[in-house]
Amino acid sequence: MPKIVLEHITKRFDKAGTHNAVQDLNMVIEDREFITLLGPSGCGKTTTLRMIAGLETPTMGRITIGDTVVFDSETGVNISPAKRDIGFLFQNYALWPHMTVYQNISFGLENLGWTQERIRKRVEEMLALLQIETFEKRYPSELSGGQQQRVAIARTLAPAPKVLFMDEPLSNLDAKLRLEMRTELKRLHAETDSTFVYVTHDQLEAMTLATRVCLMNNGLLQQYAPPLRVYNDPANLFAAEFVGSPTINFIPVSARKTGMHTAEFSTLGRTFLFEGDDSLVDLNDTRRDNAVLGVRPEFVHLEEGVMKGQVYAALPSGMETIVQLKVEGQLLTSVKFGGVDYNVNTPMYFTFSGSGLLLFDKESGRKLAKGSVKLKE
Amino acid sequence: MEKIKSYCSKPANLITVIFLTLLLLAVVLPLGTLLVGSFRVNGNQEAIWIGDDVEEGSWTFHHWTELLTSKEFNYAETKFWIPLWESALMAIISCFVAVLFGGMVAWFITRSDLPAKQFISTVFVFPYIMPSWSMAMFWENFFKNTGINAGMGILQSTTGICVPESMVYGLWPCAMSLGLHYAPFAYILIGGILRNMDANLEEAATVLKASRFKILRRITLPIVLPALISTILLVFSSSISSFTVPFFLNKSSINSGNNFVSISVQMRNLINTGFTIGQGYVVAIVLMIFSIGILTLNNWFTGTRKSFTTVTGKSGQVSLVNLGRARIPTAVLMIIIVAFFAIMPLLSFAMESLFEVPGDWSTFTLRYWTSTELFEGSNKGDTIGILRSATMWRAMGRSLLLSVLVSLLAGTIGILIGYAVARKRGSRAATLMSDLAFLPYLIPSMSFGAVYLALSYTKGFTWLDSSFFLLLLVGSVKFMPFASRAGTSAMLQLSGEIEEAAIMMGVPWWKRMARVLFPIQKASFISGYLLPFISCMREMSLFVLLAASYTTLVTTLLQEYSRTGLTQASNAINLLIILVVLVIQFAVNKLTGASLDRGIGG
Repeated sequence: MPKIVLEHITKRFDKAGTHNAVQDLNMVIEDREFITLLGPSGCGKTTTLRMIAGLETPTMGRITIGDTVVFDSETGVNISPAKRDIGFLFQNYALWPHMTVYQNISFGLENLGWTQERIRKRVEEMLALLQIETFEKRYPSELSGGQQQRVAIARTLAPAPKVLFMDEPLSNLDAKLRLEMRTELKRLHAETDSTFVYVTHDQLEAMTLATRVCLMNNGLLQQYAPPLRVYNDPANLFAAEFVGSPTINFIPVSARKTGMHTAEFSTLGRTFLFEGDDSLVDLNDTRRDNAVLGVRPEFVHLEEGVMKGQVYAALPSGMETIVQLKVEGQLLTSVKFGGVDYNVNTPMYFTFSGSGLLLFDKESGRKLAKGSVKLKE
Repeated sequence: MEKIKSYCSKPANLITVIFLTLLLLAVVLPLGTLLVGSFRVNGNQEAIWIGDDVEEGSWTFHHWTELLTSKEFNYAETKFWIPLWESALMAIISCFVAVLFGGMVAWFITRSDLPAKQFISTVFVFPYIMPSWSMAMFWENFFKNTGINAGMGILQSTTGICVPESMVYGLWPCAMSLGLHYAPFAYILIGGILRNMDANLEEAATVLKASRFKILRRITLPIVLPALISTILLVFSSSISSFTVPFFLNKSSINSGNNFVSISVQMRNLINTGFTIGQGYVVAIVLMIFSIGILTLNNWFTGTRKSFTTVTGKSGQVSLVNLGRARIPTAVLMIIIVAFFAIMPLLSFAMESLFEVPGDWSTFTLRYWTSTELFEGSNKGDTIGILRSATMWRAMGRSLLLSVLVSLLAGTIGILIGYAVARKRGSRAATLMSDLAFLPYLIPSMSFGAVYLALSYTKGFTWLDSSFFLLLLVGSVKFMPFASRAGTSAMLQLSGEIEEAAIMMGVPWWKRMARVLFPIQKASFISGYLLPFISCMREMSLFVLLAASYTTLVTTLLQEYSRTGLTQASNAINLLIILVVLVIQFAVNKLTGASLDRGIGG
């Protein structure tokens, strides 16, 4: 069973070589993983996927699928996509409009030299798996978006590829259908026993589906870790901000080291003591505004503590309420379980709780430590 | 080595390499020989003409200096500057006519509540399918009269009016018939913009309380302006180098003052004498520079201003101007006008070929269609009745064969080029290939003919001289732009994923083309075949320099008959050409749904 290894993959689109779409990417995708390539548009995630699939040629680097080197810029090896034993699910489904659902699925199998009988059997199996038996004779234009999506999946899975690549396959569906298809993809991953590589810009999709998330920005790998790890222990400011909704609070601070793991800083009109689980040696405390404190909204507890702010806006959505506070000219987002509504400008006490607060280096954006804060008396 | 192998393993790369090379050979090389030819002594006769014991094949500036500056007998003025100036004048008038007429119809069709729009639109575009000289022939058939020794025309036989010669032959009639021919073209361009212009743009101004006039002046006109300029420039560049129209309407006697030799006719005269081939090349180069300059200007205009002409989509509700009580009378008037220009030419060709004296029923005869009598002093098989004429049938057969081959070649190459351009979007080689494939569009037909003539006189290529292969080559390259544009736009409409989905399945390249890409864009691709076919079938200027006596095409035969004054025969042949084009277009349209307006008009 295959394991995909990317080594020093770089892709440049312009000849001048000023901008790298993907830069020196190293990554190992283990067998049967469900990997999501996550990032804002233009970050190089689709390019990466297309390079592994063989639809795009990397400028430099080496790609290995299983025991086979499928691309190597040094030896000039470049195996065609068809011979990489993979499936690819396109964003716009790419169903052939002039073929029926049956023909769409069977066309690829014909090219494998299968007998008609075997093709028939396999197509029926796929139709049943995706629950689209009744549409067999219809044309793609006669199907809804969700049904087209299922046909596209059936077509991709029919030759039983060992690796399945998906390029934002759910982005054209409405919210409800998207949720449904997400469940289905997770089920398919378990049933088909293959490796899934999935591109998305939707952090929620990445969080809920993946066994590991590969977070990219500007062609550079930011963090490659299981989703909860990315959420709880982001590698840098970008990762912290991109993952999580509502977004994490960033509070600029001027931090001063007070010990191996401790620091002191003043903000929001108070002085705080930070105690981290990592060493703070890299903290440069010769300058002002040298650090950023990251506080996830769930760590801002309302109606507790002694710090005081005003309600800027409250957005109840039933199960939870997002509350924005204005404190000393800075906006803080908090999430409160349950539906409560506060009037605008209501005075509000709050506190920072828990051990999941993050301290970042302002200049490099790198995470320095995770820890907790308490007010200095 | 591995790199070259992996580069060539992609069909798009291979196509680019092959066709880039072929296009360099078929477009750039001939252009080079033309340029060289204008600085060389071409043949023995030219050496005698220049005198000074120059040798054949030696270098000389003589062609340029004599044609552009010689004051001897006003040579430069009469042979070059006056024809050029008068051709420009003709082009300006025809622009005016085309834009005014076409633009007016476009406005009525897209922006008013005129009834019978579909009918008017279809009939109005119809003359554009006819060969470019049809309107000129019709003009002559209509206005000629016995007062100028030209036989009785329709106007005279029905009303007895004899118009002066200046209204039948010369600059003014040429300009008018060119303008009328290009009016449908102006209609297509301007109407396209008006139709696709989002009505919201105007409505937004209405909501802001702008007056109707202000909306027209500040919103509508600026948006339509690029299309308008584009139309003017394209009509101007086609008209100034027009050969056929001035050729058909240049029958007045030399001293009448109505004698008008257009610059393209002059080019042919210079080349055909054999003494001044190089000077003919000079004219070809000048015309080419004119055309390319104008079209570059056009691209600059549409390119920089395109941003706000782009269409935001089909706007749902267009508020149509209510014509009120003028609605029905306007429609009737429009129907009469467009029907006149669509149907009358055909009728006039038929009448000319069926009467000794048009309109006089006592002279009705089928002689010019079916007689087996021979022309005086003609070759064997050259009978008066063109349906019995072996010469005519041979020419017709050759034209059909040529057009079919040209359309197959150009159409197929166009699809392949379109494929490579779409797959290698932005790559320098692909852009160059696409530009080279489009270049022949910018070169006037007559000049393009001269380019290949020069090639066929060049050492190493003389085997091309007067051959059918030369016609095939020039036709395929000249009509390639239609096919490559149709192919490219069809390929670009298909998302790359459609093909990639098949690549992932291991479908080989030819099968992807045949089973996936072609069926989806069938209609557009077939238009890419149809356009070169029809253009080739009705093309005269391109072939007039190149077709020899044993490679006569039906259009060059028509030219020959018209030149020797065989009016009935030339009208009959023109009618035949139009019928063949119409029947084939209709058949293809019915069978495949492809139609001409899917590509660009030419």
